[in-house]
Amino acid sequence: MKKFQLGEFEEVVMLTVGILYENAYGVSIKKEIETRLSRKVSVGALQSALKRLEDKGYLRSHDSDATPERAGRPKRFFKITALGKEAMQHSKETRNQLWDSIPDVALDVKFIIA
Amino acid sequence: MSTKNNNRPSIIHWMLSKIIHKSQLEEFLGDLEEMYEERASNGRAHANLMYLVDACHLMLGFSSIRPFKTQNNTLIMFRSMFKMTWRNALRQKQFTILNVIGLTLGISTCAIIGLYVHDELTYDAFHSNGDRIYRVNQPNIWGDWSSLSSTTGPNVAVALREDAPEFEQVTRLLGLGAQTVTTSLNETHSNAFKETRFYAAEENFFQVFSFDFLVGDPGTVFLEPMNMVVTLETAKRYFGRDIHPEEVLERTVELKDYDGTWKTYTVKGVLADLPTKSHLQFDVLVSLKSQSEMMEAHGWKWIWTAFSTYGLVKEGTNIDHLQEKLQALPPKWAPPTTERIFNQSFEEFTKGYPWKLDLQPLREIYISGSPSVHLFGPTGNPQFVKIFGSIGILVLLLSAINFMNLSTARSANRAKEVGIRKVLGSERKALLYQFVLESVLFVFVSTLLAFTIVHLSLDEFNALADKNISLLPHISNPAFYGIVLVFILLLGIIAGSYPAFYLSAFKPIETLKGKLSTGFNGKGIRNGLVVFQFTISIALIICTFFVQKQLAYTSALDVGFAKNNILQLHNIEQFGFNTEALKTKLESNPAFTKVGKSYGLPPNIWSGDRYKAKGDENVVQLSNVRTEEDYLDLLDLAFIAGRNFDPSRPNDKYKVVINEEAAKTLGWGNRSTFEVDSPVGKILKLASGDEDEFEVIGVVKDFNFTSVKRKISPLVIIHHHNDKVWDYGGGLSFYSMRLNPEAINNSQDLQFLLENLEEELAELDASIPFEYSFLDQEFENTFRSEQRMGTVLNLFAFMAVVIACLGLFGLAAFTAEQRTKELGIRKVLGATVSEIVWVFSSEFTKLILISILLASPLTYYLVDKWLEGFAYRTSIDLWVFGAAAFTALTIAVVTIGYQSVSAANKNPVLSLKDE
Repeated sequence: MKKFQLGEFEEVVMLTVGILYENAYGVSIKKEIETRLSRKVSVGALQSALKRLEDKGYLRSHDSDATPERAGRPKRFFKITALGKEAMQHSKETRNQLWDSIPDVALDVKFIIA
Repeated sequence: MSTKNNNRPSIIHWMLSKIIHKSQLEEFLGDLEEMYEERASNGRAHANLMYLVDACHLMLGFSSIRPFKTQNNTLIMFRSMFKMTWRNALRQKQFTILNVIGLTLGISTCAIIGLYVHDELTYDAFHSNGDRIYRVNQPNIWGDWSSLSSTTGPNVAVALREDAPEFEQVTRLLGLGAQTVTTSLNETHSNAFKETRFYAAEENFFQVFSFDFLVGDPGTVFLEPMNMVVTLETAKRYFGRDIHPEEVLERTVELKDYDGTWKTYTVKGVLADLPTKSHLQFDVLVSLKSQSEMMEAHGWKWIWTAFSTYGLVKEGTNIDHLQEKLQALPPKWAPPTTERIFNQSFEEFTKGYPWKLDLQPLREIYISGSPSVHLFGPTGNPQFVKIFGSIGILVLLLSAINFMNLSTARSANRAKEVGIRKVLGSERKALLYQFVLESVLFVFVSTLLAFTIVHLSLDEFNALADKNISLLPHISNPAFYGIVLVFILLLGIIAGSYPAFYLSAFKPIETLKGKLSTGFNGKGIRNGLVVFQFTISIALIICTFFVQKQLAYTSALDVGFAKNNILQLHNIEQFGFNTEALKTKLESNPAFTKVGKSYGLPPNIWSGDRYKAKGDENVVQLSNVRTEEDYLDLLDLAFIAGRNFDPSRPNDKYKVVINEEAAKTLGWGNRSTFEVDSPVGKILKLASGDEDEFEVIGVVKDFNFTSVKRKISPLVIIHHHNDKVWDYGGGLSFYSMRLNPEAINNSQDLQFLLENLEEELAELDASIPFEYSFLDQEFENTFRSEQRMGTVLNLFAFMAVVIACLGLFGLAAFTAEQRTKELGIRKVLGATVSEIVWVFSSEFTKLILISILLASPLTYYLVDKWLEGFAYRTSIDLWVFGAAAFTALTIAVVTIGYQSVSAANKNPVLSLKDE
């Protein structure tokens, strides 16, 4: 059984929430991902991911007060939980291990073609 | 920053609030709002669109309605079916698009036709007692006794009230012809309105019919003479756009009487504008009591057929019994009329035809087609309803067949799927469900698209068909959704059943071994369906050809006189009987080469009387028209025998000119016998027993004076000063002027001339409305409804052809794919590109040729039947069939051309490489 389940997109979202720290909510996360990774993110996909991560206990959220620029609607800010941090750590470590285990020659492209 | 929310579509807001759980809704709306504001700087449209896209994403991801989040097996199965449908649709984009376009076109055509037919069939549905209202029709006593007329004499109602207690109410409506109404009380009575939809109604009119009163008491408005009820639109015309109905009450208007005096009427009620779907259409009603003098003098007559008689029967009346009983009334009540007016017994007058009284239910009046015209409103055309109805069903069938064809054609691609499913234990039933569900989903999507298209194109269609159809009243009707749902299921199951049975019958072992393409693959049935589709399309093409041909033929038909360049002035009767001064004025205008007066204008000469030849007791019905000699010159009528009236012979005013047909009807021979025994000099008498004799001085060649749809009737032309007969047409007279082509050679000249004329006439009498028409246009108007039908038919035929072509295109694409190897081998063995194109297209061309062979006799029969309704019919030429066949073939070859050329140009190495 896998201990931590974290998809690629989920991981990107977690990392971005980390980057934004105090200011991670729907639109800001979307924009951050779009500018940093230059990939399109749909609101639906992002919000589903956030919800999944929250259900798994990797993120927690709280509503802010209403803001005038959103027609009086609240923002929901996300924070990484301790469990979330562990999951990210786990995923990073696994990858590092894998990277380290690749023999150097395998990445030497010339060999493959020849 | 703005906090307004007015640009965002509120329906999306509403849907989001319904679908998404409360705990997240506010936040999502905030997100959407924020992004909207940001995007709005790049353009509102883009921002709106993206708002919609994002909202849909959220709805898909977060709907709290989750039919598929369940452990229920059936639901899970359905979810997997949806998924499979979606994946298959995506994988074969070309087929999916062809399928959806074909179905959408078919369904939208069918929906528009359905709306049209529904509209035509539901006239007069708004009367609360509608199911008990009947109109009393009688034979057309002025001509063809075997056809029905919607108008009856005033005495019919009296007889019904007296002898038929089954009627709760009997009410009459009297047509008063054109009336001049004015609201200004100045001396000149300028600002006059000409009212043609102006009738007199009895006091119980509004107890029978439920028209919507804005002000006024329906029960009492017509109790007094000189009372008037107007529609809101009329009130606005009279008293100003901003007037309120309450302010109109008790106001007075003046009405010009036939003798030129003015009578005052008081407005006692204002009606909401009449529903368009009513066979009664009027602007003004006055109380019939206002005409009491006339009613007292003529109310006993059965031949003053200017009334429509309506009856409201008591509840529970047996209509068949009542109708039977009514047949005893005419023999009892009508004899005084025939005896006093025509000096004939009832039997002599009816010439043995029964003078039957026919009860026609209110709801059928508009669309039944018999009687063919109504005095008080529009008539529907049952033929159009039948034709369009069948076209609608055919087009729908075509698109369903398209779907079947394309679905079975791609069977090879899905054979493996079916095989695997069966191996994994799928029952045949489950596969059937899968395929039927697929087609239902296709139909569902197409129906949604189709209704969007219908909604967008309805305005165009309304303009084309002169209708006022709207989707809105249907959308608010729950039954409509029920019908649409049943329609979707039904069409989905019909279109899906054949592919479903066909596909689910595959044997797993064979399909997995890849044997399918060699065995039977439904090609016969598929070809049959293509033939069927093209037979219908070609038949429609041929029919439209003939409709256009007939229209061209009738509009170019020689009506027997020079109908172009004739300007007609109306309302001349209001200048009084003697209008020589006006005529001199018109004649002095260099724009006119000839000016003539008449008491009727072709193609609308409907008056007539009963005559007999002197020395012959045989009574015949002849049309008549009262004209000046100049009018006959102006029309350029050809005299076969005798001469025109001569102003220098004062006695000519008691003589008559007849047409060829009249000579024939009176038993005076035809053109070839005129040499020996000329009708000129023979005597014509009125059948009513007067002693007056009218000598025939001339016979003119037959010319059309009704509509080109009818045969030319016998006609007597009476001199306009003849004071021994009382036929003045409808009491209306006209001046016709032949335009001088040298003085009037563009529309500007014409405009100038008309303005001038209007001024000149206003100087004579400002109260007389200036109204004019052109003779050739009036003729064209007589078959406007056919012309309209022609245009609509073109459109539908085009739709049918497009749909059939979509199917053919898809099939060709499929065949090209199937035959890749065969064509590759042919090429390797040395076939040229053109040979391969030939081999490939000939398969389809054969089908088209078969369709042509099937369609031709079918359409010959249909066209022949349709043309039976015309007195002058175009010939059914073979070349039309040839042209239609050629058109269909060309379209088909172009459709499959792309596929065949690309198939032929394929590199055989590529197509043979993989096995």
